[in-house]
Amino acid sequence: MNKHTVSAALAATVVAAVAALAFTTSTQAAVKTLNLPPDGTQLKASSLAGYAKAQSNCVACHSAEYMLYQPATAPRPYWDAMVKRMQAVFKAPINDADIPVIVDYLVKTYGNEQGK
Amino acid sequence: MKPDGTNHQRRRFLAGGASALAAASLPGLALAQGAGIDQPMANGHRNLAVYPEKRPMIVLTSRPPQLETPFEIFNDGLITPNDAFFVRYHNAGLPTSIDGDKHVIRIGGAVGKPFEISVADLRSQFKPVELVAVNQCSGNSRGLFTPRVTGGQLANGAMGNARWVGVPLKDVLARAEIKNTARQVTFNGLDNGVYGGGDFVKALELNHALDGEVMIAYQMNGAEIPFLNGFPVKLVVPGYYGTYWVKHLSEIEVVEREFDGFWMKPAYRVPDNDCACVDPGTAPAATRPIGRFNVRSFITSLADNARINAGQPTTVRGIAFDGGQGIREVAYSIDGGQSWRGARLGAELGRYSFREFTFGFTPERGNYDLRVRAWNRSGQSQPAEALWQPAGYMRNVVESVKVTAA
Repeated sequence: MNKHTVSAALAATVVAAVAALAFTTSTQAAVKTLNLPPDGTQLKASSLAGYAKAQSNCVACHSAEYMLYQPATAPRPYWDAMVKRMQAVFKAPINDADIPVIVDYLVKTYGNEQGK
Repeated sequence: MKPDGTNHQRRRFLAGGASALAAASLPGLALAQGAGIDQPMANGHRNLAVYPEKRPMIVLTSRPPQLETPFEIFNDGLITPNDAFFVRYHNAGLPTSIDGDKHVIRIGGAVGKPFEISVADLRSQFKPVELVAVNQCSGNSRGLFTPRVTGGQLANGAMGNARWVGVPLKDVLARAEIKNTARQVTFNGLDNGVYGGGDFVKALELNHALDGEVMIAYQMNGAEIPFLNGFPVKLVVPGYYGTYWVKHLSEIEVVEREFDGFWMKPAYRVPDNDCACVDPGTAPAATRPIGRFNVRSFITSLADNARINAGQPTTVRGIAFDGGQGIREVAYSIDGGQSWRGARLGAELGRYSFREFTFGFTPERGNYDLRVRAWNRSGQSQPAEALWQPAGYMRNVVESVKVTAA
């Protein structure tokens, strides 16, 4: 899984840069850059139609732990409210017709309709 | 809000990157594939991962990063190290590069003299203040609610205590000459919603913003603030939940009405009653924005299910804190709350800080249910039975740590 093939020299340079940042004082502000690691989880594969739509809609903006770690008691109205919030508040471009399909996948994969 | 000269990440972040390389290259920090931890809740398995400027942390979410502090770190000292301090973002549109000198904060709205100031000028033109204060996520411990509630399923590690240096917000606002029609002050940072909606903006009442304690911090524990904790400037709101501690602070606006953006309403609200609680499973009749911390205390030197040596004196250590009155007393029980004695309090680093407590006992062979309960200087304390609210904020029940002496 580890795809890093950068030379040891570059790695050492990066370490030195990080160490320098860590000890920078208040009068020596630096430019900090951010490179985040990849997502630690993926959506659970499913034969439900909402799986592909969740791939293209939900995890475009956020990682799958948001669903994976919810309590298994989370009912359909919760997942419905969350998907609608993403559309209404966060302006996620979700087609209205896809919402019930996505919700169905979410509640049957992560919520209280697992195994139904 | 948008364009501020920084590059914003959209959608997928770059895989790997400098931090992963750095971590892999530093002795002792390399993580085995699939390293994880089981939090004390159903569906509680979490990955451990290294993020920029952080040691291995419990990953609540990868993107945006939400990282919980492994609880044993709270036993290392009263100050939480920067590289172990919890991280909580709401949107994945993070800046990718910030110049810690040139970064600008704009101050405007209902003021006579709107202005903008760079962080370099903020450091040089205002007299700094220093304060040790706990930052705690509103939803710290949410995963321990019974019945369970939805949201970020945290255990007790979304808190930390740091020494903050910055300038009083009051002094900065004074330069803008606030109009007498002002009612609240709103705060925005460089993090954005991926599609532009749901920008994370928070509001404080005007008198709170001017109390002299709310601070624009540029230093954390003697170093620059880590990127993921708000570099280069973060609002510090002593005694208040972390939701108000806006990161990468870039805009301060004085407003003449009650600000009702999503993150003030309907998000981050608690039942509008004395206990901020309702009967489990019910909805509150009215709500208010979440405010100050309630009283909490934790044993840090022993984990649940730990084994200790029978017949040998055992010293138990922990931390207590509240919303700013300061801790007056901590009591402990070794018999599940049947009987209580006073613990010894350690030195006070300030009334917003973690306060250390210790107690000793010599166990016989057997099982012990250790509990601690703190009181602040107003006499507020912790409930023996957990209170409940639908959003899962403000948990502060008397904790139980069960140990076996053998």
